[in-house]
Amino acid sequence: MKHSSYQQSGFLTRFNLRRDWFVILVWLVILGGLMASVAFKFNDLYGSKDSISSIVTTLKMPAMVSLFGTFVAKAPYTTADIFASEMMVFMALFMAVMNIYFAVRNTRDEESNGMLELLRAHAIGKQSPLLAATIELFLINLLMGLFYFGGLQISGMHGMTVTGNLLIGAGLATVGFMFGSAALLMAQISDNPRGATMLSYLFLGVTYLVRMITDVQNADLTWWSPFGWVEKLSIYHENNWSPILLMVALTAVLLLLTFYASRHRDVDAGLLATRGGRKRASVFLTGPFSLVMRLDRLSLIVWVLAVIVLGISYGSIFGTVGDIMKTNPLMGKLMGATAVDAANRAIVLKFAALLMIVFAVLVTVPSVQTLLRINGDERKGWLEQIHAKAISRGHIFSSYVAVALIIGTLSMFAAVFGLWLANNSVMDNPLSFARLFRGFIGYLPALYVTLGISIVIIGWLPRFQTVIWALPVYGLISLYFGNLLNLPNWAENLTPYGWINQVPVKAVDWSQVWILLGVAVILFVIGFVGYKRRDLIEN
Amino acid sequence: MAETVLSINHLQKKFGKFEALKDITFDVQKGEVFGFIGPNGAGKSTTIRTLLGILRASGGSATIFGKDVWKDAVSIHERLAYVPGDVYLWPNLTGGEIIDLFLKLNHQKHTTHADELIKQFELDPSKKARTYSKGNRQKVALIAAFSTDADLYIFDEPTSGLDPLNEEIFQKNVLALKSQGKSILLSSHILSEVERMCDRIGIIREGRIIETGTLDEMRHLTRTMVTVQTRQTLPDLSGTDDVHNFKRSDDTPNKASFSVDSDKMDKVMQTLAGLEIIGLQSTPPTLEDLFLRYYQKDSKGDGQDEA
Repeated sequence: MKHSSYQQSGFLTRFNLRRDWFVILVWLVILGGLMASVAFKFNDLYGSKDSISSIVTTLKMPAMVSLFGTFVAKAPYTTADIFASEMMVFMALFMAVMNIYFAVRNTRDEESNGMLELLRAHAIGKQSPLLAATIELFLINLLMGLFYFGGLQISGMHGMTVTGNLLIGAGLATVGFMFGSAALLMAQISDNPRGATMLSYLFLGVTYLVRMITDVQNADLTWWSPFGWVEKLSIYHENNWSPILLMVALTAVLLLLTFYASRHRDVDAGLLATRGGRKRASVFLTGPFSLVMRLDRLSLIVWVLAVIVLGISYGSIFGTVGDIMKTNPLMGKLMGATAVDAANRAIVLKFAALLMIVFAVLVTVPSVQTLLRINGDERKGWLEQIHAKAISRGHIFSSYVAVALIIGTLSMFAAVFGLWLANNSVMDNPLSFARLFRGFIGYLPALYVTLGISIVIIGWLPRFQTVIWALPVYGLISLYFGNLLNLPNWAENLTPYGWINQVPVKAVDWSQVWILLGVAVILFVIGFVGYKRRDLIEN
Repeated sequence: MAETVLSINHLQKKFGKFEALKDITFDVQKGEVFGFIGPNGAGKSTTIRTLLGILRASGGSATIFGKDVWKDAVSIHERLAYVPGDVYLWPNLTGGEIIDLFLKLNHQKHTTHADELIKQFELDPSKKARTYSKGNRQKVALIAAFSTDADLYIFDEPTSGLDPLNEEIFQKNVLALKSQGKSILLSSHILSEVERMCDRIGIIREGRIIETGTLDEMRHLTRTMVTVQTRQTLPDLSGTDDVHNFKRSDDTPNKASFSVDSDKMDKVMQTLAGLEIIGLQSTPPTLEDLFLRYYQKDSKGDGQDEA
């Protein structure tokens, strides 16, 4: 192929792979390892008939459906059925996150840090860097898919089939590449990496919420969400390949649009251009705190809105979740009306308690992002001139910490508020605000301790600061899956999220709240001492 | 005069095993422009960042306004303005917002002087920093620094992205500061700039200050280029210790060019006068000659070149 627009794409792909191999390996080991280790454990967990039938009842409850997707398998159920039903939605989510990361990093990021300009001055085609990024993304997903397939093949899970295993690998690889392609398109639309990432997550978020709501209300409608397609594969049963075709078709459309947009735009330009702004600073922009606030303003608004929507979405299914009559009519009849009400309420509260963990982990993300800016902004040289001003390190440091706390706290509140709002309108006997507020107060200290640990790493080990992400990721996996995988208690207690008692089922443990807040403050101080005494990071 | 604004004494900085600064000693007096020159990687920016308290010195001492640069960074920075060599700005703020922010951080206000500077440098302050070129980002930092009322101004290769017109505006503003009695530390590659503005110069090389002094003092230590034509036969002078690089002209007889140690000029001139000079041209060494001489000294390794 000697088309001048695509010259040297192969060379660039090899170059990209050489540059990224370590990061790819890390993702491969984490995601592939997670999948394989769960598969290996599954015969122990759900090997017997009893354990299978009890988990099936659980998985058929609307609360679980909202988290893991509809349970489509037909009796007799096998261990593999449970596996596919528990893992697909969750792994698809991780695949999408990974693809968005690589897609934006290898296109718009390269463009805004000037690398693309350097490359384009060489004898390569106009579209070659984009094609190379696309091929790389394809290869990463292919590798992931093969890894999943291979891991399942040797796991020896009861009830699995080669076709089913293949379909899992293919399904996850395709759904990943589809969201990656969407992110490539967003990287053409927005003219900066942050915007591209945000648009990509907007797409992911909307498709995920549509999937969740339709799953609970009417699973046939889930076909309307591209994210829902992974659920329609009917793995180990019908082994339906048509969703894969749908995903491939959408991917093709997205890529065509991407390449079309890329051909018709200039380097550094996007469809959504950066607009001009104020000639003079507003009266609010006066110091480090207001600066960080101003910089993260968009992030704050987007996150608060996003988690409100998430809260409302979950709250809106409370009615269905807390309806034993619907899921288990026989039991409902046996229990009598008051008992049913009480049981319904207990289910909803337990579901709310699980959601609190999800919210707490989720709102850790923007807070940690703000904290990482302490070193990140410095490395980019943005802070050099601030440090040359009459501003102490403590002032700069505490400004970032304060904004991180504000974003985390407000987002957590927004999520709980959204939950309450929707629950109020759909339930006959809604949970009171005070009750749900327990979840907010209960998990704030866990969030703060996590941020405290992050600050210690940022202050003392700036080079290894990305390690921080292990906390929320592990927290989510261990607690989301904790019960389903029968994880031991200590494994759930490795992150602060696991230390909190079941709010809002139970009341807030105030003595624990104060202790954790104290721990958080101590961690902040330790982190700051490290930051204060070291060299700043300069490029 | 003779009030020392900045004083550095045997400053050292190690990054792990690498010694970025081995021995830096110089000072800047009130009201003077001090030129800080050296090749890439010699330690100019590291020195400046240590002076700003961004890096912590491994040895030696440095004070500004008599205060320790690490411990008293904040109070020092109240009276200091700085422009880094590579200016990076928050991409989602406008130039105007950043200038105001920088001023406010030093408890100062946007004055008419700032507006004047924006006009002089022809900056559009309403654009987001993301869309600025290197030169425009540099202008933002320069406008913020020049409009700050400070006692010491530190510029780290401030004109590397500017066009000649803007460079001229920069020089004009530096000279204006100087006439107000402000002190300036200017690190630069552009020797004509240093030559034109600086009262004293420090040359840094591989983490050491190898020479400080006024340009005249430095010239004195080096050689003058002489081109001469005589009526009588011009003998080969390359034999004498005082004359170097003697080279005869190919087309004109009795014409040659050579360099002379500045303090031996008198002696050489007497010899030449006896030969009836027809034409004589003497060029004082430019800073560039000095610069090259200092840097090539070691790589060539010939001892006779030593002044």
